Amino acid sequence: MTDALLGFAAVFLLAALRVPLAFAMGFVGFVGLGLLRGWAPTAANAAQVVYDSGFAYTLSVVPLFVLMGNFVARAGLAHELFRVAYAFIGHRKGGLAHATVVACAGFGAICGSSIATAATMSKVAYPPMKKLGYADYLSTGVIAAGGTLGIMIPPSTIMVIYGIVTETNIGKLFAAGVIPGLLCAGLLMLGVSWVTWRDPAAGPAGERSTWPQRWAALRDIWGVVLLVVVVLGGIYGGVFTATEGAGIGASGAFFFALARGALTLKVLYETLVESARTTAMLFTILIAAAIFSSFVNFTSMPNDLKDWILQQGLSPLMVVGAMMVIYILLGTIMEELSMVLLTIPVFFPIVTGMGFDPVWFGVLIVLVVQIGLISPPVGMNLFVLNSLLKGVALKQIFRGVWLFVAMLVIALFVMLEFQGLALWLPRMMP
Amino acid sequence: MNRLLTALCGLLAAVALFGIMLLTLVDVSGRKLLSQSVPGSLEVTELLMVVVIFSALPLVSLKGEHVLFDSLDPLLPPWVRRLQQGLVDIFCAAALMGLAWLMWDKAAQMAQYGDVTAQLKLPLGPFVQVMSVLCAVTAWVHLMLVVRPASHHHAGVDETPAL
Repeated sequence: MTDALLGFAAVFLLAALRVPLAFAMGFVGFVGLGLLRGWAPTAANAAQVVYDSGFAYTLSVVPLFVLMGNFVARAGLAHELFRVAYAFIGHRKGGLAHATVVACAGFGAICGSSIATAATMSKVAYPPMKKLGYADYLSTGVIAAGGTLGIMIPPSTIMVIYGIVTETNIGKLFAAGVIPGLLCAGLLMLGVSWVTWRDPAAGPAGERSTWPQRWAALRDIWGVVLLVVVVLGGIYGGVFTATEGAGIGASGAFFFALARGALTLKVLYETLVESARTTAMLFTILIAAAIFSSFVNFTSMPNDLKDWILQQGLSPLMVVGAMMVIYILLGTIMEELSMVLLTIPVFFPIVTGMGFDPVWFGVLIVLVVQIGLISPPVGMNLFVLNSLLKGVALKQIFRGVWLFVAMLVIALFVMLEFQGLALWLPRMMP
Repeated sequence: MNRLLTALCGLLAAVALFGIMLLTLVDVSGRKLLSQSVPGSLEVTELLMVVVIFSALPLVSLKGEHVLFDSLDPLLPPWVRRLQQGLVDIFCAAALMGLAWLMWDKAAQMAQYGDVTAQLKLPLGPFVQVMSVLCAVTAWVHLMLVVRPASHHHAGVDETPAL
């Protein structure tokens, strides 16, 4: 147990010294395993891990979903989504903020990244809100929080990574995200209503659209709807695997962007390289986490901790609840992907050992990542908005987002209490 | 030199990724609609994945896009930051050189056993050598950064969001 704890301490120390997390985890995992098991088998193991992660057909799901999201972002579909949402609910109090949540949810159904969703929506939804006199704290808060719907509503990068690391079915994880995603969207809209009730000047109503305008706006998004139905419907219906669905989705998004004239050769090249870089970055972390967890699993820590917790006679739900508290606290200061990958080798066996469904735990992980991405002081979505919206002080963004953090914490409680909300859809899958 | 590297690696990664996309499209639609798949498409996808990941790696390092914990930055005086960054880059370069060496060894082993892919019988050794070489290139990038530090920005803030 001490060996593993030392390993964790070493990773945190190296990270605090500004060593990239992948290098910290890989190095500590390698040295730790080398000391415990001898260097020759450790070297062979490390080379095998790198080899297996590179030559893996199923892992091509990662770049393909990233590529799909990037093509869709380039195609400018976010504008149409926002226009539809605006046409239907923009005339209500706080209507543009509500429309932002709805558009984020729609965008989340084709993009698996929270940061990309927030970044795209900041370009689409912030200018009209500013024009109508929305308070910055409301408009930025809702964009930051709405962006996190990108990872709960499938497809989702973090679900793919959780699925790979824990060997959980990615299609089932995707199905499990639908209802919690809608729940989160509903709670965020409730948060908007709360703000406009307390401070009506923060979110004035927009113009009412006529029904012909609404139908016209709806017609513009048929492509998005088709893409979502084919890709996710195909995966849920068992027509494709997640990998195949990702390939179809990326191709569909490519042809869509092409048809809209959004792709010059230069844009195509940039989109591909961008997606490849994200992929390389994710794989560096995945490979390093695999090396680190082969060290942690070689120590007795996961078993010791599991036995100790089981002996305490705590209620299983309380143990998971305690993990969630740890995640929320860590999430305020840590980068979320590395937080999850570092803790999974320890937490996952405990959770499954207590008889919980790994799919449900995956949804909880996504929720704490959502919360971590928007909880100050270190929240990636907040930094993205800060760098994209030059006129808004970070303080305003922080001020507005707290309420939405609270709403997502409520969602977390609901998901802890009612596991069926996540598990109902995946259990219906063939 | 940097420009050549960026162009070369970028082109490799872009072509390979586009290839994976089209290959999956053709393979899946062929299988579902005409019940005929592209022979060896799985293997080719795997080989292309290696190209995507490892040729984009030098670019990730060059742009300083690895995920790292930089919340302590404002607390440190600039010269400490500069020194720290240099040491970190040397550390990363050493780790990558170690990995390059391991993979070279593995490539030699696989070439010796004559390992090939199951369907198309493509030799695997050269691809593992490519992994090794690109790790070494990335190590070299980190060494270059010691001499000429890039302006590091917040990880993931702009083009390559991880989450």
